[in-house]
Amino acid sequence: MSKRTFGSRLADAATVSLAFFWLIPLIFSLLMSFRPQAEPITIGNIFVGSRITFENYAAALQVAPWAWHYITSILFVFGVLAVQIVTVTMAGYAFARLRFRGRNLLLFVILLQLMIPSGVLLVQNFATIRALDLFDTRWALMLPYWGSAFGVLLMRQTFRGIPYELEEAARIDGASWLQIMRHVYVPLSIPAYVAFGLVSISSHWNEFLWPFIVTRTEEVRPLTVGLNKLYGTTEVGALYGQLMAGTLLVIAPLVILFILFQRRFIESFATSGIK
Amino acid sequence: MDAQAQPITASVVPISRRATRSWAQRLFPYLLVAPTLVFVILFTLLPATRTVVDSTMEPGRRASDPFTFVGLENYGDLFNPSHHIGSRFTRILGNTLIFSLVTLGVSVPLALLFAMLLNRPIRFMGIWRFSLFYPSLLPLIGAASIWAFLYSDSIGLFNTILRSFGLQTINWTGDPNTVLWSIIGMNIWKQTGYYMIFYLAGLQSIPRDIYEAAALDGANFRQQFFALTLPLLRRTTLFVVVISSIFAFQTVEQLQALNQGNPADRGNLLLYFIFQNIGERRNWGYINAMTVILVAILLVFTISNFVFFEKGQEDE
Repeated sequence: MSKRTFGSRLADAATVSLAFFWLIPLIFSLLMSFRPQAEPITIGNIFVGSRITFENYAAALQVAPWAWHYITSILFVFGVLAVQIVTVTMAGYAFARLRFRGRNLLLFVILLQLMIPSGVLLVQNFATIRALDLFDTRWALMLPYWGSAFGVLLMRQTFRGIPYELEEAARIDGASWLQIMRHVYVPLSIPAYVAFGLVSISSHWNEFLWPFIVTRTEEVRPLTVGLNKLYGTTEVGALYGQLMAGTLLVIAPLVILFILFQRRFIESFATSGIK
Repeated sequence: MDAQAQPITASVVPISRRATRSWAQRLFPYLLVAPTLVFVILFTLLPATRTVVDSTMEPGRRASDPFTFVGLENYGDLFNPSHHIGSRFTRILGNTLIFSLVTLGVSVPLALLFAMLLNRPIRFMGIWRFSLFYPSLLPLIGAASIWAFLYSDSIGLFNTILRSFGLQTINWTGDPNTVLWSIIGMNIWKQTGYYMIFYLAGLQSIPRDIYEAAALDGANFRQQFFALTLPLLRRTTLFVVVISSIFAFQTVEQLQALNQGNPADRGNLLLYFIFQNIGERRNWGYINAMTVILVAILLVFTISNFVFFEKGQEDE
């Protein structure tokens, strides 16, 4: 018995120390962001400087139009999600409950998106955005993500788990397809929608290469691109306090969301393993 | 996919029952699928096809000049170490392979360790889970700018610590011999938490009584681990290995903040190199050829993922 206690104490110690190591970047970005710019960390004084200051945040806010970046990021992730919910619900239902000619072929074409992520096809998709005359607009950010193979697979699987008798009963009562979706399928699939939403929001909130390529005007660029600009201007002068302040402004919404809904997040990300 | 079709047939509307379907009813499924299909065709199928076609072309000098067909010449140049693009490409492809293999080799076992540690009753669970998982939520570019500070040559945290012990400092992202390892280090920190959740799900699906029976038979922790845990998690491991490989070929945004591929491409990765050359019209043939190679590598991983996954479903 005492041996087991020793083993589990060892495991506790390992958990705590690994967690501490993993937290170091976050802890030090926080410390740096509140530390006076004139006092870089030195031997013997690597934690807080002589005083706590907000000047780094003020300086970071000067570098880029953060309010616009926030607006763009929010419009981007919710603009993608809103359309995705409609498209994956429609296609998910078709693949779950309807038989039609070419069903497997069409499903295969959609699944290609899981195999060939559009983020890799940068050059061609950039040309498409140019051809559609959408360069440097928020539409350009969203458009490639409006169809989601992952979402279609997830909803197909979820809808299949709902007893068909429920749909039949509603149909006998004279319900239209839209009413059946609204009153049967969608309400019974809320957990799947939440999982899909969290995965979709967090992945698009973090998108960088694509938005960077298809936009030029600051106002239509998301937070990640603003952060890149901040990085470019502060790295030269080694103004790391300012950079850390800006970085924290960008990552804060997701981190707070995660702290509030930890369990949900982890379960949702486990679902994303469908890929 | 058809492996799963069997049990579902019962709940699908049989076609025969509605022998006389109107054209509107017949069109309905296609209408439902159409929106998704349009976007997949426009941003995946067409560009993928065009990438393959354009990889056999050489762009003209000016935007108005036509492309000329050059067959597989672009690919030949890419794998020719004495060619100006080939020398860079082979080095960068090598970097990408090392990057993906080392990340995988360290972060997958580490993810299993994390999962086993968190799969026990422990106080303040939320804190430990947050600490190990939060990096995978951060935007890569944000994570990288934090690490740019940790790695900074003059005033970074790591070098300050080294100095305080009187040790030689390291130019983490500036030294050609360390840059790739620095990128890998950050990547392990970033991804391990994500792989952990699949192991956590896997561990939670193993019935407790198997371990109780093994313990009654006198199996110690090590024996239980190698005889039970590892074999029972085989599918999870295969899955995690595949997704981490796929990830490794797609995650390059950290380079933008850490080193921009420098010095001398020693810290460059394939997709980032493609991104860097997007404005170079004369290199478009090469970019398309590199994209084809990248997609081919990804396809191998994804298809093996599907094969494992489907096979696993049949096993059950």
